[in-house]
Amino acid sequence: MSLLGSNSSLLSTLVYVILFVGSTFLFLFWGPRMQVFTVLREVKTNVEKLNVLRDKSKKEALDYLVVNCKAPKEIQQRLDQTLEYFTIMPVDMDPNGIVGKIEHVVRLQDDRMRDEIKRMAPQADPVQVSVAQNILEVATSLNQIFKIVRHFYIQGQKTKSYYILIQLQMIMPMIIQEADALVSAIDAFKDAEPIGDGLGPMVAGKFMYGKEKITIERETVWSKAEFKGRNLIVLKAEGPMGTVGRPHIGVEKLLSDPNQKVDALIMVDAALKLEGENTGEIAEGIGAAIGGIGVEKFRIEKAAVGRDIPMYAVVVKQSLIDAISVMKKEIAEASDKVVAVVQRIIEEKTNEGDTILIIGVGNTLGVAQ
Amino acid sequence: MAQMFPSIGEKRPKMPVFTIEECPSCGTKTKRAFKIGDYVYKDGGECPKCHAKTVISMIYCELVQPVK
Repeated sequence: MSLLGSNSSLLSTLVYVILFVGSTFLFLFWGPRMQVFTVLREVKTNVEKLNVLRDKSKKEALDYLVVNCKAPKEIQQRLDQTLEYFTIMPVDMDPNGIVGKIEHVVRLQDDRMRDEIKRMAPQADPVQVSVAQNILEVATSLNQIFKIVRHFYIQGQKTKSYYILIQLQMIMPMIIQEADALVSAIDAFKDAEPIGDGLGPMVAGKFMYGKEKITIERETVWSKAEFKGRNLIVLKAEGPMGTVGRPHIGVEKLLSDPNQKVDALIMVDAALKLEGENTGEIAEGIGAAIGGIGVEKFRIEKAAVGRDIPMYAVVVKQSLIDAISVMKKEIAEASDKVVAVVQRIIEEKTNEGDTILIIGVGNTLGVAQ
Repeated sequence: MAQMFPSIGEKRPKMPVFTIEECPSCGTKTKRAFKIGDYVYKDGGECPKCHAKTVISMIYCELVQPVK
């Protein structure tokens, strides 16, 4: 028995040693490869999900153009080509005049997309064209996201590079969240419902309602109003189209008008919140509250600084998904509070007889004036 | 740094969209389901209280809790 027992213990020791040494060598030489396979499988699942989201956005764009804009069904190929449009940003080695160059390129891109939609659906009205443009922008973004992620996935697969794949795996949850947000925005665009980003135009619209509207620039309007002895000039994108207008050019034109001296500038916009902040929270600040590529901000700042006009900002916090999806109740209800904040700033910071320029910044889809 | 990574937000369930019509005369607010063609500051229907013309003051989505 004892001999058998000693044999058995020897055998089990041998098995343990083999297992230990074997697994050490296995993990030493095959460990990274096993990790690569695990990461590859996870990334592949996400790439497939991105592909589904991209196809969904393409189908939604096609359906909107055919059903709502009465485009012929044969536009599929043209739509695919439109989604592949690219924009080459100007060279910035010599930054002098870069803002003008970027604006030129971005405007061309915008015009080209719009012309393409008009060509595909000549019967579409201006609101439908703007909605189709918004949906196409979503589809183009998803197409780009999918292609870039797929590129790195295939590169990681070919090179078996753990470091390429691990970077992709790390940012994948944020990419998927953003892609989901973009897809959910399509529902709001299709029905021309106001989106969270429309908060600024909604506030400006409250001041403009019932007043005469004057077009100052493409898809940008302004009105005169009055509040406690102050003259208000209120500017916003022309709704209910899905557009942000050209508020920077509107501001430049209004500020350079020799017949009216503007004493203060108040900008109202939606702002992306940080985790932990509440949706619909109002914050006040100083500076030009406008997002985008930076061209609009640059030109508004230049126009205001040149005339020594103080810039006040009021923003309403929201997440990315809230900003591009149908407006939430908390955001819509914040608009009345923002009006009160703007009125308080006017009372505290300006005097009777002063002229104040109020700008409602954002996409004015589903919000008129 | 945090500004580079703002909150993307949670995936939202499909929520019903409502249109709020407000009477400029008496301030009465009426809530109804959103209809295609509605937009904020569009003329609405008749005020149920004073029969004046209402205006659409808000359009928003809201999570409706099922009644137990």
